[in-house]
Amino acid sequence: MTAPECTASGTAARSAGSTRAPGTAPSPAAANPPPGVAISMELTWRYASGDAMERLGRALAAGRLEAAACDGCGRRYLPPRPLCGDCRLRMTRSVAVSDTGILLAFTVVHLEIVDARTGVARPTPYGMGLIRLDGADTALNHYVAETDPARAPIGARVRAVWRPERRGDLADIRHFEVVR
Amino acid sequence: MRGAAVVATGQTRHASRRDDVSQPELLREACRAALDEAGLRPRDLDAVVISNMEVFEGRCLPELWAGEGAFATGKPCLKVATGGTSGTSACIAGFHLVASGRFDTVLVAGFEKHSEGPTQSGMALTDPFWDRHVASGAVGNFALAVSQYMASRPYLTAEHAARVAVKARRNAARNPHAHLRMPDLTVADVLASPMLADPIRRLDMCPQSDGACALVVAAPARARKLCPRPAWVKAAVTRHEQPFLGDRDNRLGTMRTLREAARVAYQEAGITAPLQDLDVAEIYEPVSYAELAWYEALGFCEADEAGVLVESGVTELDGELPVNPSGGVLSSNPVGASGVIRVAEAALQLHGRAGERQVEGARTALATGYGVYAWADVIVLGTEP
Repeated sequence: MTAPECTASGTAARSAGSTRAPGTAPSPAAANPPPGVAISMELTWRYASGDAMERLGRALAAGRLEAAACDGCGRRYLPPRPLCGDCRLRMTRSVAVSDTGILLAFTVVHLEIVDARTGVARPTPYGMGLIRLDGADTALNHYVAETDPARAPIGARVRAVWRPERRGDLADIRHFEVVR
Repeated sequence: MRGAAVVATGQTRHASRRDDVSQPELLREACRAALDEAGLRPRDLDAVVISNMEVFEGRCLPELWAGEGAFATGKPCLKVATGGTSGTSACIAGFHLVASGRFDTVLVAGFEKHSEGPTQSGMALTDPFWDRHVASGAVGNFALAVSQYMASRPYLTAEHAARVAVKARRNAARNPHAHLRMPDLTVADVLASPMLADPIRRLDMCPQSDGACALVVAAPARARKLCPRPAWVKAAVTRHEQPFLGDRDNRLGTMRTLREAARVAYQEAGITAPLQDLDVAEIYEPVSYAELAWYEALGFCEADEAGVLVESGVTELDGELPVNPSGGVLSSNPVGASGVIRVAEAALQLHGRAGERQVEGARTALATGYGVYAWADVIVLGTEP
């Protein structure tokens, strides 16, 4: 998998206007900010993926999904991780997982929340869910292309909608959609 | 190990902005109040534990900049950060420092100044591979957990949650430190407030507050000198969980961290029937719906009875087990301080110093913490050592 780069376009300012999402109008407070020190910075981090995420990255690039399987309890983890928390065993084996599954939880987000990869708020409203893919024992959180809770009932079948070009990255799945 | 007791507490006024003070000044305000109540000088402290979410305000090592606000210079000083549980975990660390026999008097101090940065995005700065792909923050994650919990509890309604929100803000009106003091709030107001993330509405959610809280923990002999009614630590238990929201099915409904911590704490404190044995509870409810789930996990009721508890007023200030007389996290949420506030408010009830929010005759009090769905802390305090 591509080692993720995370950029923080953070502000630590006291002025209400400086924390607004780009493209929005400044609040009246910005014209007359309270006293204090305003700090903005742009920094980049690069994180090693580790074995489990490397394997998932290769699978994603090939349009497949995999879970990390524990040889102790048999639990199949997606998102994958290096260790089974319950058994304390290192997991080195991956198992194939379907790109369709069941919706275990769903919400429509109306509050603007800063995207932690870009520092920019995602346009609202948007659907999100916890999805347990067929073949996995844990659920992953991802976007669901639905903004009416009545049309995305818990227990519904959902499937992944892939981007045409893949980078071996979790964003290769654009979102999930309810199977009707 | 020997015992430990909370002998004094101090809090700031919690508010959406405290532009009048810097972080060290805010922390000092609470610490000064706690020392004054105990009749102590800074030199009397043996060690200091600080609780704060360091990335939230965009700076690391908060104990370095703000530590002097807790009189830490020249003393052993630890920082504890475990999300929402930071404050209760810091208290547990303070209890252990005293119970170990190494220190007689320890100051535990938590603070947060949400107004100084984009703290909502701080919630997403966890695992760089998965969580950052789905921008949801605390509200989005809670909404997912709540949607699943509510689907598994068909007898619970949005109105039950709204009643929790109303109870908290009405209780807060009796608490001079609280941020959201709303004596006239109604269930209809909560149900009409804007949707943040289904099914959570604005008035279902905790605020983001600036504030600080401190308490003094003392060894037995010292505690008896410093306080007429020390709040003795009967149990202090913490549990950690696997990293992702979807790792546990129906997180709020199962809540194995909180259930396990409560089971062990009740056993250590000799509590067999929590609803009857406890006199007051200060529980960490960042969202109204969570309080319903905590009632179950803490053994206040069976799985299908949280709504009944709310409808019958059992957890109101004049009920059988008042829950969050202070107004709870729903009324004041300076995150690094919120857990310390739970313990301080539980202790205040046993000290008999809770003013208009006092539960008369309280002898056994519960305080809990909840952190990023991955930590749970359960603390029981009592008037007898």
